[in-house]
Amino acid sequence: MSVEEVLARLFSQFPKADKAAAAVRDYPTVQLKEPSDLVPAVQLLKEEFGFAYLDMVTAVDWKGPVDMRGYLQEPNPNIFRPSGAPPRESAKPAPGLARDAMTVVYALSSLSEGLKIFLKIDVPREGAKLPSLTGLFNSADWQEREAFDLLGISFEGHPNLKKILTPDFLEGHPLRKDYVHVKDRFDVSNPPDDVGSIRPNLRRLGDLDA
Amino acid sequence: MKTAAPPTRSSLKTDQLFVNLGPQHPSTHGVLRVGLTIEGEVIVKAEPDIGFLHRGVEKLAEIRTYAQEVVLSDRLDYCSAMTNNLAYCLAVERLIGAQAPPRADALRVIHCELNRIASHLILLGTYGIDIGAFTPFLHAFREREMVLDLFEMSSGARLTYNYIRIGGVMRDASADWAAKAREFLAYFKPRLDDYDELLSYNPIFLDRTKGVGVIPAKKAVSWGLSGPNLRASGVAYDVRKCEPHCGYEKYPFKIVLGHAGDCFDRYHCRVREMREAVKIISAALDGLPEGEVLAKVPKVLKPAPGEAYAHVEGSRGDLGVYVVSDGTASPYRLHVRAPSFVNLAILQELFVGQRIADAIAILGSLDIVLGEVDR
Amino acid sequence: MILKGRAWPTELWDDPWKLPRYRRGARMLAGLSLGALAAAVGVGELGPWLKFADAELAFASAALGLPDEAVDAAWILVKVAAVVAVFVAAPVVIVWWERKISAHMQSRFGPMRTGGFHGWLQTVADGIKLLLKENITPAQADSWVHRLAPAVALVPALVCFAPVSFGQALCAADIDIGTLYVFAMAGVSVMGIMMAGWGSGNKYSLLGGLRSAAQLVSYELPRTFSVVPVIMFAGSLNLTRIVAAQQDYWFGFLPKWFIFYPVVGQLAFVLFLIASVAETNRTPFDIPEAESELVSGFHTEYSGIKFSLFFMAEYGYMLLSCFLLATFFLGGGSAPLPFLKFIPSWAWFFGKSTLLIFCFLWFRWTFPRLRVDRLMDFNWKFLLPWSFANIAFAGLCLLF
Repeated sequence: MSVEEVLARLFSQFPKADKAAAAVRDYPTVQLKEPSDLVPAVQLLKEEFGFAYLDMVTAVDWKGPVDMRGYLQEPNPNIFRPSGAPPRESAKPAPGLARDAMTVVYALSSLSEGLKIFLKIDVPREGAKLPSLTGLFNSADWQEREAFDLLGISFEGHPNLKKILTPDFLEGHPLRKDYVHVKDRFDVSNPPDDVGSIRPNLRRLGDLDA
Repeated sequence: MKTAAPPTRSSLKTDQLFVNLGPQHPSTHGVLRVGLTIEGEVIVKAEPDIGFLHRGVEKLAEIRTYAQEVVLSDRLDYCSAMTNNLAYCLAVERLIGAQAPPRADALRVIHCELNRIASHLILLGTYGIDIGAFTPFLHAFREREMVLDLFEMSSGARLTYNYIRIGGVMRDASADWAAKAREFLAYFKPRLDDYDELLSYNPIFLDRTKGVGVIPAKKAVSWGLSGPNLRASGVAYDVRKCEPHCGYEKYPFKIVLGHAGDCFDRYHCRVREMREAVKIISAALDGLPEGEVLAKVPKVLKPAPGEAYAHVEGSRGDLGVYVVSDGTASPYRLHVRAPSFVNLAILQELFVGQRIADAIAILGSLDIVLGEVDR
Repeated sequence: MILKGRAWPTELWDDPWKLPRYRRGARMLAGLSLGALAAAVGVGELGPWLKFADAELAFASAALGLPDEAVDAAWILVKVAAVVAVFVAAPVVIVWWERKISAHMQSRFGPMRTGGFHGWLQTVADGIKLLLKENITPAQADSWVHRLAPAVALVPALVCFAPVSFGQALCAADIDIGTLYVFAMAGVSVMGIMMAGWGSGNKYSLLGGLRSAAQLVSYELPRTFSVVPVIMFAGSLNLTRIVAAQQDYWFGFLPKWFIFYPVVGQLAFVLFLIASVAETNRTPFDIPEAESELVSGFHTEYSGIKFSLFFMAEYGYMLLSCFLLATFFLGGGSAPLPFLKFIPSWAWFFGKSTLLIFCFLWFRWTFPRLRVDRLMDFNWKFLLPWSFANIAFAGLCLLF
């Protein structure tokens, strides 16, 4: 069984699936278009080709560069300068990357053949939903919970879709690019009203005024 | 006078008890909390609760440069920081298409295997404590101390090394260092027999671990276990063999397999893996090539947009790093497939029906590091 | 180089006596033996003095015209003071010894500073610290039960020492039912542990208390039954008479200790030793306080003086077990060979007990812990049947 065979079978069964434009280097990467294709495609891989090992479930938010307010502290603080670190060069992402979508990435392995295949599927950022793979792999349980917690993708059919890593009081999904941290009782730094006066470099980044 | 009928099993009112195992508990190996519902000594429900150590390493990566992120990777699995360094550096090297020089590869292998020994020694010691034997712990730490001495010589640090860098390693190892490493191996090999005599083949230890917390192969694969936990169930999956990195294909070693998938197999797989690690290190030290240890890699990396995934056989399992670049100096998205995190998920199923004492044995045998679970 | 001048374990391994720390260890052991001897002399030489004091007391009371009861009362007080002195002093020595022995088993030093010589004052310092610590009662605790529990655990341990014969004519209370008395009193301590488990208002304590109740009550049985052959051979429950029955020698050199009675004696000794380790809650039977499972079991919520009372009870029972083992099986204060009789009996008694205490410590730092259900299996399916069988063997021996 070679990767080509697997891919050919996959593409014939799911005509909307295609090789992903942004492939994971050195690994076969399949882009699925329809959320309804996900479970059957994974089932096909698992049952016919022995991809019985779900390696990884994660997602990427393509909204663009991160919102600096998502961080508790300024990046690269330079304590030797009274004014803090100089403002960072604003990130210039490659054109065409930013879009209003998230990509959920699955890595499946065939332990007997030593093959690994990546599946990608795009979901809208608002109300991101996907069918859960917990029926096929037990390891999807926590990994999907993690993706739910950090990126806010709800997996339908998951038996126990709760927060897993972040504390209960934390609102929002930290790995979304527009996440803004709301100060809570565990933040030792100054109250939100006078952030700017004490952290001038944060103000200089221009993000607090927005 | 009429006496009351003696209480029968059905007339006695019994209740279940909810017990918090952790986050402050001697044998949760960190800040793990498991909410146990117990009936007498038997667990009827277990709800692991993690995240107490969540530092948001993946979020922090978004504003740090690629080189700065190596430091954070140390803090994931702090018991085997070298393999974390390696997984991250391999992913970035794949992203930028760099290749470490042969000497750097050999040094990476030596350091990772030394770290595997150090990490498994921690398991050996703490598992002894979990079962109630305190002495092996200090014997194991005596040997681990020597590994840390070696790391101190080569990297300057004893816990978070930051030794493996993108494109190679931080510093070359001297001939003196290699001699010390050989000396350590010569000393360490007979100690492994000592551990077996002291702990592994102790009848009480065998009684506590044999047949306890059995994970059949199919279940292990479905729960995504990796590393010694998976191999103890008899699944021959080792990243060093199936996707060799850093020239692992050149070194003679076996995939250590268990049969039953019980606590003893998981424990003993690690002990036997230390022997294999000794073999690998000896072979690598013998064939240590000359040359550069750091490839020509720019200080500030700005990889072309794309994504890469690299995984290595960490001390606790299949450690994968998924990096997405958007052309800037910081990773756009970094995801760590942490073996401890995935291995720990099976706890909720494995604990049910076990006694509290067995639960501790099972938790110990899974060998988790909470720094990696919570990230 | 960082490693320069630092001793690697390889160097230690080649010639362990080369390095001063091992010589220090040897010196330490010698010092320990001397210290134990000195302590034994203190107690042992008390006997004649007590007799002298008794005579003086009787004389004085007769001169003052006091009733005989007054002499008895004063005399009892003196004896109680002597036994309590042993009881309080022994844990201090044993704990220090345990620390040093465990340390050397684990390639450490143990306490080295307090008191100058190998930290010999460490336990005393810790004792003072425990006395001065805040006396905490958790809000959830059943206050009275919580406070009473250490006393209920400790007092029986103390009382148990009354009939123990520390050597010839060194016995606080020469009771005829001595054996029965010791076991009966030791059984009361379970109440204290259960009270601690219940009264602490902590679930782990409760579990520890329950485990402990099950374990201690179960192991009482083989422990008591394993001594029955000894009682049958000696023909008495009195500890002094049991010792007296072991004074002779077979063929002029083999002491008539019960451990040397073929098969029956050895079996009884092993059964009693195992049951004693279990009774004192020590590894491999430290299930009630299994720190990796139950945090600290029944004394999780105890600190300061209340904790140290539990601690003293545990060490008191360990000492008692060793005394009993020496009394029942190793001939108490009798010399192993006839020509060694010039050494006083109390020295033999304490020597034998010290050896047994070392065994207890050795077990603790070598074995892992059993699981609670295995522990019960071991008791009911192995120890108890064999102790019954042993009684039958003893009966057959006596019959023929």
